[in-house]
Amino acid sequence: MRRNQGCNHLDHHLARRQFLAGAAGGAVGLGLPGSPATAEKIKGQHKRVLQIYLQGGVSQLESWDPKPGTEHGGPFRAIPTSVPGMHISELLPYTAKQMHLLSIVRSINLKTNDHRQGRLFMEKGRRAGEYPYVGSIASKYLAPANSELPGYIHISTRGLTDSTSAFLGAQHGQLKFEGVKPPKNLAVPKGLDETADARRVQLRDQFNQQFRVGRPKSLTESFDASFQQAAKLMGRKAFFEKAPDPKDLERYGKHDFGRNCLLARALLENDATCVKVTHHGYDSHAENFNFHLEQLGEFDKTFAMLIDDLHERGLLDSTLVMVYSEFGRTPKINVRYGRDHWGSAWSIALGGCGIQPGAVIGKTNEKGTAVADREVDAGHLFHTYLQALGIDSTNDHDIAGRSIPIGDPTAQPIKELLS
Amino acid sequence: MNVNQSDTSDALVAQKPVVDYDAIDLEKTHQVSEFKHKFPLTSCRVDPTGKYVVAGAQDLDIQVWDLQTKSNRTLKGHTSWVRSFDFSKDGSRLYSACWGGDIKVWNMADTQPKPIMMIQAHTGSARWVRISPDQKKLATCGNDLLIKIWNVEDGKLLQTFKGHERHVYAVDFHPDGQHLVSQDLMGFIKIWDMKTGKQARSIDATVMTGYDNKFAADMGGARDLQFSPDGSELASAGITKVVNSFAGVQDPIIMLFDWKSGKEKAQLKPEKTFQGIAWGVRYHPDGFLIGAGANRSGKGELWFRKPGEKEFFHTMKLSTAARGLDLLSDGRHLVIAHSDGAVRVYRMTAEAKRPAKSKS
Amino acid sequence: MSLRSIQCLVSCLAILLAGSVSAHSAEIPLHQQIDSLIGVGKTQFEKTASAPADDATFLRRVTLDLTGTIPTSDEVRVFLADESTEKRTQLIDRLLASPEHARRMQYVFDTMLMERRPDKHVPAVEWRNYLRTSFLNNKPWDVLVREILSVDGTDKKTRPAVKFLLDRELKSELVTRDLGRLFLGRDLECAQCHNHPNVDDYLQRHYHGLSAFLNRSYLFKDPKTKKTSIGEKAEGLVSFTSVFTQEEGKTAPRMLDLPEIVDPKDAKADYKVKPAKNVRSVPVYSRRLQLANAMTHPTNIAFRQNIANRLWAMMMGRGFVEPLDMWHADNPPSHPKLLDLLTKELQKNGYNMRLILRELALSKTYQRSSQISAGAEIAKEIDFGVGQLKPLSPEQLAWSMMQATGLTVKTLKSLKAKQVKADPKNGAKKTEDALWQEEALHAALNKNVTAFITTFGFVGAQSSRFDASADQALFLRNGPLVQSWLVPSGDNLTARLKKLKTSSEIAEELYLSVFSRLPEKKETENVTAYLKDNQKQSQQALQQLVWAALSSDEFRFNH
Repeated sequence: MRRNQGCNHLDHHLARRQFLAGAAGGAVGLGLPGSPATAEKIKGQHKRVLQIYLQGGVSQLESWDPKPGTEHGGPFRAIPTSVPGMHISELLPYTAKQMHLLSIVRSINLKTNDHRQGRLFMEKGRRAGEYPYVGSIASKYLAPANSELPGYIHISTRGLTDSTSAFLGAQHGQLKFEGVKPPKNLAVPKGLDETADARRVQLRDQFNQQFRVGRPKSLTESFDASFQQAAKLMGRKAFFEKAPDPKDLERYGKHDFGRNCLLARALLENDATCVKVTHHGYDSHAENFNFHLEQLGEFDKTFAMLIDDLHERGLLDSTLVMVYSEFGRTPKINVRYGRDHWGSAWSIALGGCGIQPGAVIGKTNEKGTAVADREVDAGHLFHTYLQALGIDSTNDHDIAGRSIPIGDPTAQPIKELLS
Repeated sequence: MNVNQSDTSDALVAQKPVVDYDAIDLEKTHQVSEFKHKFPLTSCRVDPTGKYVVAGAQDLDIQVWDLQTKSNRTLKGHTSWVRSFDFSKDGSRLYSACWGGDIKVWNMADTQPKPIMMIQAHTGSARWVRISPDQKKLATCGNDLLIKIWNVEDGKLLQTFKGHERHVYAVDFHPDGQHLVSQDLMGFIKIWDMKTGKQARSIDATVMTGYDNKFAADMGGARDLQFSPDGSELASAGITKVVNSFAGVQDPIIMLFDWKSGKEKAQLKPEKTFQGIAWGVRYHPDGFLIGAGANRSGKGELWFRKPGEKEFFHTMKLSTAARGLDLLSDGRHLVIAHSDGAVRVYRMTAEAKRPAKSKS
Repeated sequence: MSLRSIQCLVSCLAILLAGSVSAHSAEIPLHQQIDSLIGVGKTQFEKTASAPADDATFLRRVTLDLTGTIPTSDEVRVFLADESTEKRTQLIDRLLASPEHARRMQYVFDTMLMERRPDKHVPAVEWRNYLRTSFLNNKPWDVLVREILSVDGTDKKTRPAVKFLLDRELKSELVTRDLGRLFLGRDLECAQCHNHPNVDDYLQRHYHGLSAFLNRSYLFKDPKTKKTSIGEKAEGLVSFTSVFTQEEGKTAPRMLDLPEIVDPKDAKADYKVKPAKNVRSVPVYSRRLQLANAMTHPTNIAFRQNIANRLWAMMMGRGFVEPLDMWHADNPPSHPKLLDLLTKELQKNGYNMRLILRELALSKTYQRSSQISAGAEIAKEIDFGVGQLKPLSPEQLAWSMMQATGLTVKTLKSLKAKQVKADPKNGAKKTEDALWQEEALHAALNKNVTAFITTFGFVGAQSSRFDASADQALFLRNGPLVQSWLVPSGDNLTARLKKLKTSSEIAEELYLSVFSRLPEKKETENVTAYLKDNQKQSQQALQQLVWAALSSDEFRFNH
């Protein structure tokens, strides 16, 4: 297996977590195969979000905004896509064939080159402060009340665990899956039937009620939320016991990212609301070109298969898809053939629910050193995601006694992107 | 009385030691000329007759400098960066391989050469090109995992060698002309029998690759590949001991292999504090080995190693990263492609006291 | 008298008075000084501070903090019944003198220094034993750190201490960063390439000055013993270039902003043992040995501030500086005077950690309830006016669960019996020794602790942030290990509960064993109601009653 667990040591403030869980075992649990019948059933159901996070900062010059033959263009060329007039990097040949399902925003300026600040800004739509991530917002406002899966699931073989729900409550926090490993201990212990199991959980709640009086909520809520999420996972035990279809593995790739995307597809087909898959790592301060060959080589075919499957199964209309990083990479190539952090002129791709596909929003200048037209930041993107999902981001959050706007009031959605 | 005295009343003068300006004195290696281009260079090569140096850069062109007249020609036509060159024995033909996957052939006698032939050699980058010892074939390798042999006259595909599972970084003919050697990202060196069209054996250079756990990617590959003149030894330049490959924290290495047995003969590394990549290696006809590399702060080094030794016996610091290395046929001059856009020519001898003549 | 002599007299008097005041204040115990300073400058303090914690709460809290487990139900009963006014002080002293305290400190410092990383060159078992023995002897912090930083691993006796350096394989980016983070409370990571982008006062020369102590040291594998130890060359300089500005600098070994420690001029590349193939070189002048001195030197204030901050965080739930390794100008301590006081006391008392912990435990600040009084306002920021909820560490959780369910007592009984059988002459006496008991229990039950560490612990820089995952909830809810402790056996909790006749007896035994307190009336009523509803499956009902209590919020946190 190529991918290994490791720690992101560029991020100072967060605890790095690496589950020391024992043998994963051979069986990889993935869900029910999609079919036109399933697609029918899904139509009209709740909206969903698929986030593909390219960790470390993917180079826009090697992906969505190539500038071949220019001073900073690098060795790779541009290729046409299924959208007339739209070209992307030759490193994404499969994705190029799917661009009619996606749009590109090329004019992002976050005004920061810091991994953590960039990432949090992209997730929360706010530069600073305790605000919920897109995934937690989706969990709160899009997940059906009786949803059998946690509303925000993050699939990553890496240990970074964020606190994502802010004031929305720990039950909307991300649930991290360590790749496709099925969670352990899903079965109720021997000797306990359903009634007994329900009773002991109720009893536990009773103990907790006493303790809550006069104490701050955040820690106990986190603990209780983990039990709620556990309960949901227990309810979907069968889901984890099926092995992936070998044909699917062939198409998506047997590497971690491929498996994780297969799991994401299965989750989305089975009632999940927001699924995020992280792909490591793009922070190529050295050997930028060889590394993007590696990483995008993995990303390209898998992502193209995934979005094609979502489309074919009728899920794309109700699923917002975004491919993003925390920033892009410098046009200037450094002495190690690397590119450094560049938050001031870079791109993301998005499509699906509520998004006008096949569009290119904004431009960077000829050398890629600055935005030339339609500058936006993560605040605008945030509004755009939520409006596309039918959430009015100019409203306040639904929190008793507090008046907190969902999106940054100083930003607006990118109207040209909304269909 | 010594020979030069004509009159015995002249004071005895001790004979001054004669400085042989042509004697190789590696520790006195010094720069003799410089050719500047406005973009960082990626590679360089000199033609066998010692007339030209060609260089690839971080642009789409090939720079050619006449080593005598210093005049420059720019060869245009590639659609991507050029990182590998070879020349025909007579220096009349230049073969260039670029990241776009194509090989172009140039007639160096033209005043302003245009490609006289183009071979779309690989899907994805064509990383390396070499002409066969009998001058009849070209070998190329690339990101499509293949090694291909072409007819040098008409560009027809003659053979394809499959087997590498990751990007192939370099390929070369053994001086016997019957075998090919190629090295991929993961440090697998394959030896191919051209008669049978199959892989004959392999050499383990897996120490020249590393998987970076933090950033989840492999790094490796031969950045230069060279046979010793008699074909008994193979040298490969690249990296080892990956610590943090996204920040360029790994060690440069030049590995030497015994051709017959395939066994590793030496692992040559610069001093511990020079972390980066070894980009070039050359055998000198006198038997010593020359290497060149770049460190993560953008400095360069030239390394010299005496036959049979385990370490470089002399290191010359270069002000900027060395990304390509070649040896002139006179055995005295080295050319290096630097990251600051310059090709610099270094002479491996003492500096002679010459009458006022501007060094260029 | 001339004006001048009057002035002199006045100033002399002032000095005398000041002297006597300071002499007087030197007699004020540290814990009282802490309590005086804690509310200074915080205007809301009195309004938001909570009441003192009751006896049961205090007993559980301090037993967990100082010995890593909860008290037994008997200990609770005895403590509650004790009418002595000194009982809290006596309890603290008892706990600090116990072998369990040394084990607790071993857990805390092993986790802090080695971050649960897998073994490389020194087995964890030996290292942990070294730590525990050090704490059994109350080894001062500076002495411990000196040992850890000066040992080279060649001497079998002192080898375990070399784990900190050796298992990081002297990799500059690992070891320099961790030296800064763990011994100075400063994370210099990004500074290795350029002046820290977020933090103005971490400079490249801080990072490289620290790395210069170790730049000549290397790993040496003995071809005969196959053991790796640290060798050192006599030459090698440290220079650095900013990856962004290309600026260059040079530095000798240097501890933050203290003066550079320049190599002695005459000791140029001199060796006691020259480097050669399969020979571990030893230079005449060792840069590495300067590290232990420089780190623990009285002028290195950061060293003291760091441990003061960490000891405070261990007891109070968070440090004056959070995260514990991110001290810088934009992240100053919340209570600078108080931190200053602790720092000075540490130095004055020769880095005696047990003394500091004692004073912290004695303070009113430590003993405040974690419950906000009815009608009180909620403080806007953490000012230590209210006791902090502290999630139990994986070790605390494991030992407390084993204690609560009676597994510990049961195991000890059988270990004692075995020992007496094996050694009829001295066995009985030996098994009464507290240290023997602690070590025997630990050996017998360590596997269970490891299971908890695997589920609740994480590898890498430790943080005080609480992260509850569904995996952990599933472990508690359905995991066979915890379930096995619920099955009635011998004299364990479930077995004892089974034998009790009334539900109020059951409630009391349950609460004392699991929550370390007596139940309130309503709580007893709830237990009664539950037992009544589940009479048919009384054994399961009892087991799951214990389970519900064990997996509740109240148990999960130290409050």
